Amino acid sequence: MTQFDAQDWITQLFLRLRQRGYPLGVDEYQAALQASEAGYAQDEAALLELAQILWCHSRSQQSQLVPIWQDLQREAQKQKPLQENLADKEEPSPLSEKPVDEVKPQQLDPEPLIREREALPKQEVSSLPVQAPLMLIERESILPLQNYFPLSRRSMVYGWRFLRRMVADGCKNVLDIPATIQVVTEQGYYLAPVYRRQQRNEARLLLLIDQNGSMMPFHRFARDLVETARGESPLQEDNVQIFYFHNVPASHVYQDLYLTSPVALKDVLGYCDRDTSVLIVSDAGATRGYRRQERIQNTTRFLRQLQKQTHLIAWLNPMPRPGWVGSSAEILSYLVPMFQMDRFGFSEAIDVMRGVAKPSGQEDED
Amino acid sequence: MTKLLKFEGRDLRQQPTGAHKKAPKEPEPYIVGDRLKTAVNLAITLRRPLLLEGDPGCGKTCLAKAVAFELGLPFFRWNIQSISKAQDGQYVYDALGRLHDVQLQKGEKASRRDPSNPEDYCEMGVLGEAFQIKDCSSVLLIDEIDKAELDFPNDLLTVLDKPWRFQVKETGQSVEASPQHVPIVFITSNKEKGNLPDAFLRRCLYHYVEFPGSKEILKQIVDRHYQIEHLELPKAELQDAAIARFISVRTEGGLVKKPGTSEFLDWLKALQTFMGKPYSADKLIGADQTGNKLPYLEVLLKVQQDWRKFKPADDSI
Repeated sequence: MTQFDAQDWITQLFLRLRQRGYPLGVDEYQAALQASEAGYAQDEAALLELAQILWCHSRSQQSQLVPIWQDLQREAQKQKPLQENLADKEEPSPLSEKPVDEVKPQQLDPEPLIREREALPKQEVSSLPVQAPLMLIERESILPLQNYFPLSRRSMVYGWRFLRRMVADGCKNVLDIPATIQVVTEQGYYLAPVYRRQQRNEARLLLLIDQNGSMMPFHRFARDLVETARGESPLQEDNVQIFYFHNVPASHVYQDLYLTSPVALKDVLGYCDRDTSVLIVSDAGATRGYRRQERIQNTTRFLRQLQKQTHLIAWLNPMPRPGWVGSSAEILSYLVPMFQMDRFGFSEAIDVMRGVAKPSGQEDED
Repeated sequence: MTKLLKFEGRDLRQQPTGAHKKAPKEPEPYIVGDRLKTAVNLAITLRRPLLLEGDPGCGKTCLAKAVAFELGLPFFRWNIQSISKAQDGQYVYDALGRLHDVQLQKGEKASRRDPSNPEDYCEMGVLGEAFQIKDCSSVLLIDEIDKAELDFPNDLLTVLDKPWRFQVKETGQSVEASPQHVPIVFITSNKEKGNLPDAFLRRCLYHYVEFPGSKEILKQIVDRHYQIEHLELPKAELQDAAIARFISVRTEGGLVKKPGTSEFLDWLKALQTFMGKPYSADKLIGADQTGNKLPYLEVLLKVQQDWRKFKPADDSI
């Protein structure tokens, strides 16, 4: 290798990282090119370091980058002898004669690479007769739970922030500067400042959390939900009620997560009024693919009771939506707005709870 | 084309010639690794903020000052609190003061500022001040950004990017950094309240400040600190013993909260000067094996669980 072609490497690495889901944009790509022009990518080690500083935003990303880079290097090594062989046999094409220096960074945007790929001759494929896939055993979907991290704490805090119903009924001690100035200009003299009442978040939240059994793998999310709702949300602490249950909220739910101090369900329902938001966190049998008539009936009965009190009900299911199919979760999702537990699901659930989105259960009745 | 600034991590004792009058006057003892040096220079070249993460007490905050000192650039520090708003860094407008002054003038009393001039009531924040320095870049440290509200980093993002400009709503004035001399921005975070937003991270360069684990680097750090502070360097044996003991406590102790560089320096100072005379190096090496306990653990261990590991249960203090 006579000259290290940093730009080519940068382009390849950039595309590879984009594929891997690194949040990088064209700006970051151009910044890397700019850095390489400024002499920060003299050799492969320097380029790797540049990419780690510029394109990674945590230590784990930095260490993940190393194998990706090594893959790229290995592939380049493999291709090199091939290209050399080709160059011996064939006339070099005008494109490869072009010295590297002439290629400007602007021309090296990712597009040409994509176009090249598209320009490949399309393979002729004849159609095959349509056939149902042969399935001898029941398909078991295995969710790799150790890497399952659908909803971050940050997203929870962010979501809770939208759950608010501000009522100005606090002390009248907030200085309203624009109104004060308005009054002064109208009167021509200054008498007293204008005060507004303090605003308070009146939103009430009832959090019902399925505990133990199939919910075991998701306890950490439930715990995060509880902690963020209590401590890091705009909700007043008295306005957050949290109860736990196992599988189905029966005649009693529990105040603690070990299910030892029961509270009668009717007392809990008594706490709800028209403006109380309810969030149910449960897999609804989707984790194990259960579809028990009894569970569905009991849950339905509970939901009907709850819906008499409030319509701001959302259900957060920690299993991804494809996993609901065929289980009781699928049936229950027709009765109450059910969302999978990821960022979008949670924010949709919040929308339902604050009454912005129409609960899907009501649409059928209208 | 202006000369590109380059940070070398040199061991300077005095302000470089031609330093800005707002540049730090005192040298900042700092040992910079090659990688960190590259990161700093990349931040300067690409005009992107450098996000520093790392264990507490490993020198995230000091770096910005060290850079400002070496390059002779004005230094601004913005300590973020939980109530900080992005706008506080830009400017604060004293509308009430203006109203007050109007009333004073009506009562035919002199006011300090002129209420007919809205600009009199606008006080620049740290960002505003940094932007207003036109003859050279400035170094801006935004310390502990993770302490702020969720939206804070995103609000900041629009200001710390081209065209490096913000508007003062009340006066219509626009504050803009000179395009040749945009501020060099350092941001520190220790992920106390979860991750920073993606859009913000995308814009930042990233460096994780590691604890300087090797004996040689720790020794260099000690040397430079003591030279700059004009203190008498502890004897070589005591230094070596302290470094060895410290590293062993840090790596083998299984601590909940590991002490950082700053704790080490404090501990060494305590070993050297506390009780009137330096602690014996032999005793320090022999601690634990001979039943002696490590001295001045108060300086190193800040969590009760860690404390228990190094203190026998019957010790009543």
